[in-house]
Amino acid sequence: MSITSRVKAYVAVLQFQGLILSVLVILPFINNFSIFGIILPITLLLVKVFLIPRYINKIILDLDIKRVIEPTIQQILFLLLVIATMIIIFLTSSVLAQSTELDVIPFASGFSAITIGIYIIIFRKKLIVHVCGFLVLENGIFLFGTAVASELPVMIELGVLLDVFVVVFLMGIALNKIRSTFEGFEVTHLGRLKD
Amino acid sequence: MLGFSVLILLPLLSALFCYFVKDLRIQYNVSVLVSFSHLFLSLMVFLGFYHISLPTFFSYDSLSKLFLLILSNVYFWVVLVSYTYLKRPVTSRALEGKKYYFSLLNFYLASNSAAMLANHFGMYWVSVEATTLSVAPLIYFYRNEEALEAMWKYLFLVSVGVAFVFIGILFLTLSANGTDLESKQLFFWEFIHNATQLNPIWLKASFIFIFVGLSTKIGIAPMHSGDVDATSNAPSPIAALMSGSLRLTALLGVMRIFQIITPTSSYEFAKMILIIGGLLSLFTAFVFMFKVNNFKRMLAYSSVEHLGLITLGIAIGGIAFIGAMYHAIYNSITKVVLFLSAGNIHNRFKTREVSKVTSVLNKMPKTGWLFMLAYLAISGIPPFGIFFSEINIFEGILFSDKPIVLIFVMIFLLFIFINMGKTIFSMLYKKSPEDSSSAEIEPFDFIHLVSILLLIILILIAIASPDILNQNILNIAKDFEIKL
Repeated sequence: MSITSRVKAYVAVLQFQGLILSVLVILPFINNFSIFGIILPITLLLVKVFLIPRYINKIILDLDIKRVIEPTIQQILFLLLVIATMIIIFLTSSVLAQSTELDVIPFASGFSAITIGIYIIIFRKKLIVHVCGFLVLENGIFLFGTAVASELPVMIELGVLLDVFVVVFLMGIALNKIRSTFEGFEVTHLGRLKD
Repeated sequence: MLGFSVLILLPLLSALFCYFVKDLRIQYNVSVLVSFSHLFLSLMVFLGFYHISLPTFFSYDSLSKLFLLILSNVYFWVVLVSYTYLKRPVTSRALEGKKYYFSLLNFYLASNSAAMLANHFGMYWVSVEATTLSVAPLIYFYRNEEALEAMWKYLFLVSVGVAFVFIGILFLTLSANGTDLESKQLFFWEFIHNATQLNPIWLKASFIFIFVGLSTKIGIAPMHSGDVDATSNAPSPIAALMSGSLRLTALLGVMRIFQIITPTSSYEFAKMILIIGGLLSLFTAFVFMFKVNNFKRMLAYSSVEHLGLITLGIAIGGIAFIGAMYHAIYNSITKVVLFLSAGNIHNRFKTREVSKVTSVLNKMPKTGWLFMLAYLAISGIPPFGIFFSEINIFEGILFSDKPIVLIFVMIFLLFIFINMGKTIFSMLYKKSPEDSSSAEIEPFDFIHLVSILLLIILILIAIASPDILNQNILNIAKDFEIKL
């Protein structure tokens, strides 16, 4: 994902991440099935694998966004940055795991996703890619949450999902407006507000 | 259940109602009714006349009682003037914004009340994100390029910020590993009672993430840009709402985590971060005030300044904490008057540029005088309340272990006062060649009446200093284990 140059690839990655997350959440329910417990994984699957990716694809089609993502730094540099960050994160979390109870793999991968999401937002120009970066960040947090094994009540988890969905929805509407107002959807177009 | 219905469910229902009913007048009447019942109930709760029972995830203490009342008060006046504001002629594009105005406003009330009353970090997070969702479309009210950019930046920056808060909450869960709190729910009070057991490293990390994330919403420097853009481009009632109450909703989250951290060994660390954040905000406002060209932006930076001051007061503790709580009340009321007057000026001159606004006192004397009074109020001139709360904060800083901070605060505030005054007086008095010298008569409208009432309330609270308010703030200080 770090070196891909196509917007569509981001959407596919998001879809894949959503699928992994849903599987992760559904695993504990294989042995002790309950109707109530299944609500969250199903909603997760619906929102992260179907609704959001479809919506983003629709925006891309509607707005006729050029398929290339136009980075601000060289791809190879970006890749190196991502690799370096991931190494640091994995090393730190294995050190941290010695003092606290921690699942290193989900913790570190979640955190890597969070940082990569932020990198995407910083180093890419297209606003639609920023939205994807934000979603990668959200997915990272979700994965990180499973590592921490915090038992948030289902109602609140659903609230979180709903909030994220509405945020993306609003961003999509805003992108539509930006397209018709600024004739473009890159950060460089947003420079009117200054001190 | 009555409390929950009036404070959260009723605004939600009314939001739905306003969405489907097209008539603006009916929408307005319903919204005023809802906001009045909200204000009435939160006042009753604040005065202790009525105790509400709330479902799981919601409860209230002295702090949420006070902040709920501030929210309710600001919201009530803003809704009250909204109809007058919406009746003004706007561009055809902005007509669309009117349709959803009251619906979003009601949703704003519901989500903010939920955030104020939440006693669970998860619930608080969901509500805070919902407040962003309710306010973002309102920023885009004018449907122009600046508003669109402001909305996009606010929505994006704050969403990322609030995502950071979620990481902070997860860190907090991590800090509870191996204590009594493990695998328990994230209720505020349980964490406050067992704070000393928490793992200090994760607790510190949690504090940083929650503080930095919510800074985007509070407008604490260096994360203030999205907030400033939004406040300066939103319609005036919305800007007043954001400055007066939305920032406090976010501040509440920071105060909760600060309350948890207070009895632990990480207290000094958290205190330092809050002090740095507060001073940096004052500094940012101080630098900005030297080159003001947009008067609404100036007011937005004034909010950055005052929220910085409140954060500083909370961090210093002691009498400064008491001052900070009073400051939150006074600031919220003054900001409504300031933004409403600024909205009147904007409506007359059709620009936000300071250089194009001339001799306001001649052209619109009523608004001009109110604007000047509100400026004096926000600068801490007696008998307006901010004078007293700032004195408290200064006194607290002077007798704390960091009196050096006071020098910086004084210098920053002095120059902000001078530069803001220079800008405002040039708007009020400076004449351009084409201005006639005779005074025009400005019709007295509803917004003037509300502004005058708010200024009177401001002075009354400061002069009378009601015992029950004082007691409530002392109770908050007690909850924060502050020695007076």
